[in-house]
Amino acid sequence: MTFSEVEEVAGYVGNFTVKIRKKARYVDPKLCNACGECAKVCPVAKPDEYQMGFSSRKAIYIPFPQAVPCSYILNMGDCLGNNPIACGKCSQVCEKLAIDYDDRDEIVTREVGAVIVAVGLDVYDPTEMDEYGYTRFDNVITSMEFERLICAGGPTGGHFVRPSDHQRPKRIGFIQCVGSRNPKIGRPYCSNICCMNTVKDTLLLADHYPDVENVVFYQDIRAFGKSFEDMFQRSKQAGTRYVRGLPGDVEEDPRTRNLRVTVENTTSGKLERHELEMLVLSVGVQPPKDLAKICGLLTLSKTSDGFLMESHPKLKPVDAPTRGVFFAGFCEAPKDIKDSVCQAGAAASRAGALLNAGQVHVEAITSRIDEAACKKCGLCAAVCPFGAILWKKGEVAVVVEAACAGCGSCGATCQFGAISMRHFTDDQLLAQVHAVLADRPQDKVFVFACNWCSYAGGDMAGISRMAYPSSNRVVRTMCSARVSEEMVLEAFRCGAPVVLVSGCHYADCHYINANRQTVKRVHRLWDTLEKAGVRPERLQLEWISAAEGQKFAKVMRQLEELRKTVTPEEIEHTRRALKAKPKKAAERAAVAIGG
Amino acid sequence: MAETTLEMFRCMMCGHEYQEQVPKGEDKERSCPKCRSNSIRHVKKRVSEKGS
Repeated sequence: MTFSEVEEVAGYVGNFTVKIRKKARYVDPKLCNACGECAKVCPVAKPDEYQMGFSSRKAIYIPFPQAVPCSYILNMGDCLGNNPIACGKCSQVCEKLAIDYDDRDEIVTREVGAVIVAVGLDVYDPTEMDEYGYTRFDNVITSMEFERLICAGGPTGGHFVRPSDHQRPKRIGFIQCVGSRNPKIGRPYCSNICCMNTVKDTLLLADHYPDVENVVFYQDIRAFGKSFEDMFQRSKQAGTRYVRGLPGDVEEDPRTRNLRVTVENTTSGKLERHELEMLVLSVGVQPPKDLAKICGLLTLSKTSDGFLMESHPKLKPVDAPTRGVFFAGFCEAPKDIKDSVCQAGAAASRAGALLNAGQVHVEAITSRIDEAACKKCGLCAAVCPFGAILWKKGEVAVVVEAACAGCGSCGATCQFGAISMRHFTDDQLLAQVHAVLADRPQDKVFVFACNWCSYAGGDMAGISRMAYPSSNRVVRTMCSARVSEEMVLEAFRCGAPVVLVSGCHYADCHYINANRQTVKRVHRLWDTLEKAGVRPERLQLEWISAAEGQKFAKVMRQLEELRKTVTPEEIEHTRRALKAKPKKAAERAAVAIGG
Repeated sequence: MAETTLEMFRCMMCGHEYQEQVPKGEDKERSCPKCRSNSIRHVKKRVSEKGS
């Protein structure tokens, strides 16, 4: 289904309902035979987006030569008007009567079992990095514009000319990492494809025009794929000069329109000046700008660089955290064609396996709602990062177990004890709190650690033989969002001098964004402690990844120092201050363990 | 022009207090500029202004 947009996705794995807006084409693709008579008579001329504005198109056009279906489309925004008809020439010449000015968008609903997200990428717009003169000098172009100019199907028929005078350039420069590996503009990541794209471009130029001199200004050439190093060496053998160093500034000779580039060659340590007839900015890539909408539709989250976050970077690299959703291509991370094809194949296989199985197996750690205790407030549905809780005003919430991942955010949020987590019940966790703090609690630092990152960070500290105080006692939860306010308060009531709530880093949360609930909860707890006259600093929050054993050890040392500042009188005061309002969960736990 | 507010933060580990321009709807991990702890308490809203 082309020229369409997903508007709404409801449901869960195996049972998605997708609403798609099929946009009006104003040309019936079944009747249109792409004869092109309509475009010949269309009086409108607009810059051709596909040709990067180097040529023009009509209001009725085929967006690009390989378009499927191969049918014309009428851009009603560019058309002189159809209501009333101001022109109508295309309709008059169309023998197939394919043009329909009354065509309207259509909403199509489809039931699907799995969704593959393959929304591609946007190319970085270098206008903000004007030191290279992209907005000032005609002969500074991007690598995408280069592609159109060198392409046989491009605006110049593959004859490479420079925009200022349409003459063939003899000296061409390439600047790498424009919009990549640059934290100053919020793009610290490597775009992965630009190095080899430039190597390919230099080989193309050398093949088409052996007399052309190419100079590539780079930080590193990352030629790590199969045969890529060989391609890089061929480019050098073909005469391309690689200068390690990025130019600081570009100037234009107003007479010749040539470009003067000054660069420090960091290999030789010398300042070099180059006069080039054309400069190509090897622009990086970025996530598509409407990716946030996709995230909203499918309850996905993004990593710090803005690409979609996978369920697990090593073990589930094509799975989204939301079950039944898979990724392919650039939307997950920058990658070349080969990797994109591999990932697309993997995503299709994963989706096929899911659909062929006919049923979904879930881990037995999902949440369960006690219908009698549910007060129908809907808070649980609001905090569920997977949209796995169905709730309507005035109705009892229902958990869709196939969609529930078991983070426990709902269980920690429910104030009425109506939600329990299988295998991580409130009673079980509170029993651990009581057991840990039953003997000499004043000597212990109490730690709630999430299963995926912080607990593994503690393991890493252990297996790396890192020294840290032995005062900590760790209780594992699936997610830091599972830790309810009541659990933390109960730890303080039991005499804990210091409590730490610890989870995955923001970008690494294994439950999409459940740890944002942790932050809100800890803030509420700091307020509660302060109002009760308890030092809020005694509750700490840390994000520790599975690789950060060193950070785990450092935090434990800091907490031990903090613990030493807590006096027995302070602990006793805390017990009294927080004992005033025992909560239901704590009471149930006390009954459960015979307290 | 994203709307930003000047917000006050306090590190619950070292006590360091600092202000930061926060774009509306920002969702980012915070750490203390002094000790790198993540125990950052959002104290209160100060001044609302238009930023770039």
